[in-house]
Amino acid sequence: MATEHHGTVETTEAPHGQESSGGLPQLQFQHWGGQIVWLLLIFAVLYAVLSKVLLPKVSGAIEERGAKIAGDIADARRLKDEAEVQARAAAAEVAEARAKAQKTAADAKAKASAEAAERQAKEEAVLAEKLSAAEARIQVARDEAMGHVRAVASETAGAIVEKLTGKAASAAELKASLA
Amino acid sequence: MAAPTDPMHQFQIQKIVELPTVNVFGQAIDLSITNSVAAMLLAAFLIITFYTLAAKRAVVPGRLQTVGEMLYGLVDGLAESIIGHDGKKYLPFIFTIFAFVLFCNLQGMLFGWSGTFAGFTATSQLAVTLTLGLLVILTVVAVGVVKNGFKFFKLFAPSGVPWPLYFLLVPIEILSFLIRPVTLALRLFGNMLGGHVVLKIFAGFVIALGSIGLVGLLGSVVALLSVTALTALEFMVAFLQAFVFAVLTCVYLNDVVHLDSH
Repeated sequence: MATEHHGTVETTEAPHGQESSGGLPQLQFQHWGGQIVWLLLIFAVLYAVLSKVLLPKVSGAIEERGAKIAGDIADARRLKDEAEVQARAAAAEVAEARAKAQKTAADAKAKASAEAAERQAKEEAVLAEKLSAAEARIQVARDEAMGHVRAVASETAGAIVEKLTGKAASAAELKASLA
Repeated sequence: MAAPTDPMHQFQIQKIVELPTVNVFGQAIDLSITNSVAAMLLAAFLIITFYTLAAKRAVVPGRLQTVGEMLYGLVDGLAESIIGHDGKKYLPFIFTIFAFVLFCNLQGMLFGWSGTFAGFTATSQLAVTLTLGLLVILTVVAVGVVKNGFKFFKLFAPSGVPWPLYFLLVPIEILSFLIRPVTLALRLFGNMLGGHVVLKIFAGFVIALGSIGLVGLLGSVVALLSVTALTALEFMVAFLQAFVFAVLTCVYLNDVVHLDSH
């Protein structure tokens, strides 16, 4: 029964089985030695286990995770850069192909128009030839016709002269008069 | 069992396993396992068990691992921000202090219902907090002497002061250094003691007022609500005091690690 020294709470009976010296139980110095020795012992063991075994594991896991995340991000960045380079190359290729196609089309157009022009020129030449031939033929025919006209005129003149004069005009005279 | 309504009874040391008393330098040291010692053993056991389960090397952590790494990260960030790059070296010590104080504080809150040593708050024992405080300050002295040799004593004579001031400054610095373990110990001890006593007294009110009629019943409800709020507050204090202990350990270590810039 140790109820004497409990300040304001004296009314409550507190049969501390132990040698309660009164006041704060924390100031019962007979318990200090044991607690201090045990605390130092426990702390030493705890420190040893934590610092040598457990904390390296924890920090290792954290570092591994950090390294993995950093590595993954670096990978992703590298892949992105690669993809960008490839996209740029593809775009360049497309542009090149387009330029080539345009050039080919332009070439084909030029060739086609050149061929067409050539063909047209040839055709025109043929036509011109035909035209000139026809013109020559016409000229010949006209000359011939004109020649016939002279002969007819000469004949007619000879006949007229003969009828009028009674004598036939010589060919030379007729010719001279018709010139 | 003793009377549970005595708010001081929860701090009473009681023997669980009798062990012999040894004499060291004429001091009788009773090595019996008391409720305080058992609570500290439990704290150490729980920390080791917790970190054995939590220290998995999973890239995507589970719940336990997340909590474990969060606590570690908290102390790591603390050491890094206060001590700087050298903080890594002292991290295990700071972390052990932090984890031990935290678990001791929380056990008193979490296992109080059990009525056994598990609910005993070892950090409400002045012997325990004073030992922890001395442990910290002796570690600080050891680190300071190992790192700086004789220059360690520059700690008490900050540079950049007109020399006559040293007559005033040096004693103050020495005093403030010597008082550090005491403030460390008393802060933790006081917080744990005060909080637990207040909780116990208000909890006592719940029963005492409840048995004296209608008005008493009303007071009882108020007291019950207070106890609920105080319990939440005490959980915060339990964490905060462990955190403060770790912060101050970092600050004191930083003083001797970066003595040149002192």
